[in-house]
Amino acid sequence: MNQRKKTLVIFVGAVLFLVVVTVAGVFCYDAARVTDFSRKNLSPCGQYLFGTDWMGRDMLTRTLTGLSMSILIGMCAASISAIIAFVLGVMAAVLGNKVDSVISFLIDMIMGIPHILLLILISYALGKGFKGVMLGVALTHWPSLARVIRGEVLQLKNSQYIQVAYRLGHSKMKVAMKHMVPHLLPQFIVGLILTFPHAILHEASITFLGFGLSAEQPAIGIILSESMKYLITGKWWLAVLPGIMLVLTVVLFDVAGGSLRKILDPSSAHN
Amino acid sequence: MKRKLIAILCMVTMSAALFAGCGGGNSEEGQDSTQGEATALDGESVIVTMPTTSEPEAGFDPAYGWGAGEHVHEPLIQSTLTTTTKDLKIDKDLATDYSVSEDGLTWTVAIRDDVKFTDGEPLTAEDVAFTYNNCVENSSVNDFTMLKEAVAVDDATVEFHMNTPFSIWPYTMATVGIVPEHAYDENYGQNPIGSGRYIMKQWDKGQQVIFEANPDYYGDEVKIKKLTVLFMEEDAALAAAMAGQVDVAHTAASLAEQEIDGYSLLQVSSVDNRGINLPTTMPVEKDGMVYGNQVTSDIAIRRAMNIGIDREEMIENVLNGYGTPAYSVCDKLPWYSDEAEVAYDLEGAKKILDDAGWVEGDDGIRQKDGAKAEFTLMFNPDDSVRQSLAEDFANQCKALGIAVTTEGAGWDVAYDKAQSQPLVWGWGAHTPMEVYNIYHSLPDTGSAEYSPYANETVDTYMDEALQADDLDTSYELWQKAQWDGTTGITQEGDIPWIWFCNVDHLYYVRDGLQVAEQKIHPHGHGWSIVNNVDQWSWGE
Repeated sequence: MNQRKKTLVIFVGAVLFLVVVTVAGVFCYDAARVTDFSRKNLSPCGQYLFGTDWMGRDMLTRTLTGLSMSILIGMCAASISAIIAFVLGVMAAVLGNKVDSVISFLIDMIMGIPHILLLILISYALGKGFKGVMLGVALTHWPSLARVIRGEVLQLKNSQYIQVAYRLGHSKMKVAMKHMVPHLLPQFIVGLILTFPHAILHEASITFLGFGLSAEQPAIGIILSESMKYLITGKWWLAVLPGIMLVLTVVLFDVAGGSLRKILDPSSAHN
Repeated sequence: MKRKLIAILCMVTMSAALFAGCGGGNSEEGQDSTQGEATALDGESVIVTMPTTSEPEAGFDPAYGWGAGEHVHEPLIQSTLTTTTKDLKIDKDLATDYSVSEDGLTWTVAIRDDVKFTDGEPLTAEDVAFTYNNCVENSSVNDFTMLKEAVAVDDATVEFHMNTPFSIWPYTMATVGIVPEHAYDENYGQNPIGSGRYIMKQWDKGQQVIFEANPDYYGDEVKIKKLTVLFMEEDAALAAAMAGQVDVAHTAASLAEQEIDGYSLLQVSSVDNRGINLPTTMPVEKDGMVYGNQVTSDIAIRRAMNIGIDREEMIENVLNGYGTPAYSVCDKLPWYSDEAEVAYDLEGAKKILDDAGWVEGDDGIRQKDGAKAEFTLMFNPDDSVRQSLAEDFANQCKALGIAVTTEGAGWDVAYDKAQSQPLVWGWGAHTPMEVYNIYHSLPDTGSAEYSPYANETVDTYMDEALQADDLDTSYELWQKAQWDGTTGITQEGDIPWIWFCNVDHLYYVRDGLQVAEQKIHPHGHGWSIVNNVDQWSWGE
């Protein structure tokens, strides 16, 4: 098996795992909210692989549901974010200097504020909950990708085939859509996938801090913040197993993004 | 190769640093525990932990909530005119005698003339009048609208002129610490001077308060000379007890299964109750807010839930048994009517629902006229006990055919939402005013403050209770407000609130420390425990 095939296998494996977790979580949603006080505080065993918490909730279903909620919110938010980045990036590069300086300023400004702070502000202002987290993550994660795309477009503008297209009398819009966008797509997709882990971690963080999803939701941030109170009594499984799953998910997204870049990158096509 | 070498070197240094760190921690811990033992041995000081919320934000000023307000306790630094006894009757502290005029509008209180503030100045009736007038003007936590003004008649007599008769005034007098007029300014809360059992020596905000005994205290000898209060969360308090750093550590039922060497668990019964409000009116929208709830406005639903939930099971499940069933907001207090008590009766509850026309549908949820028996129960997301109670209540309601979904709601929105949705509340105070605040309708809305409800007869009894000539008569009237034989707020009455349990207050107490007998604790897991800290003692 050559390098390329190996990468492809890793990519497919990672994506498969994430899809399975997401789908399983969606189906577990109701089970994750069931409380049964007759089985509270059980450590991990055959029947409850991740143990149960102080209200007798099955931690495996809670973890899966929490992860899948995080993944879904993260994906939606990251996609919105990436679209914003794409539009602004292309606009900055194509529409001339004035627009460019405004957008560059916006990018610098948002990047200048710590992510988590801005996230909390936006989420709190929108009344927390699903809407707050979603928009919070969506509105904070676009600048770095926008910058990459803007840079890429600026470079493209000076390339010969674009210049030729202009000389042939094509409109700015047509050149952008027909000649630039296809060229940008690989960067865009890789950038998008690499935004997922950020978005997921940030969703988990603000929920953990109490500015995100509501306490009755089986979100991963809620699970982790609740577990903090019980660590002192030795209930390690409440924090450790969901924590490992969260890290695993984030790492796999990173791996998937990385492998995808290798596959799409023309310079490594022959490895 | 070089890279690997550097990596290995880095790892070695880091792990060495880590071990060194652990070692340092251990030796520190060792020191602290010897310190803790030293305090245990000298026999005159105690270290007590309290929740961080117990730290008085506005300082130790009675006008801004110290001793009074939501969490009632004895102010320690200041003296009060009266005190409450173990069975929540009234005893005297500064007062030597008190009486009320026949119209109930003038209270005359004679006070001791041998009391000095800790700065050496004598405490006179002027100081008492000043304290109360200051409360009338500035108090942000207590209701003083019934008091017109306080007047010092002579050095040892105070008169309180009331706007309306207020028979339970002695309970208010038990919570207001007397401050010195000559040493009172806007910074009083930071450096309080009083005439009470303790002097505040040091306050490190966010960490601790240190009290020392007042050597000139006029009452019984203060046995514990030094009291240190540490503010921390329950898990930190548990860790502190495990490390032997504190003498009394507050804890919660979910943590109390832990056994700590050298400590035993102290269980103090309380009227710190948990219950839910059930809006009794049909939903109406007013100024963008909904008042009332269609399902809970049906009395059959409220009655069925009150007898259809097994409180003992709830206490076992949620509180690991550390609690008692609650049937009212004031269980075990002198103004409690035991008519409120009900027996668990699942079949009876189902029958009530059947008779009222709530028929079970295919999904196991009852329906009536096309409406499903379902509602959302809110809880405070920071409180795992309230969340568990909500969940357990929802589970138990399933058996009745009532679908309850739970939802976390912070205090910023919960008060408004509670006008249309049940919420898990915690109450319990050392004054009957709480019954009034919860069940009496407000004049401008015609409905009770926290949840839509109004009953004229109940209102009248409570108004009469406030106008009663003496406390014993008022107790009877408070009880009648709960159930008078035909109407009230109990099962056979309107049942606008359902009460689940009284949460026992739990503490890890170091062996050898005798914590004096506690009066029933009110809501709030903080200062109540040290109400009588002066009478604690160390022994074998």
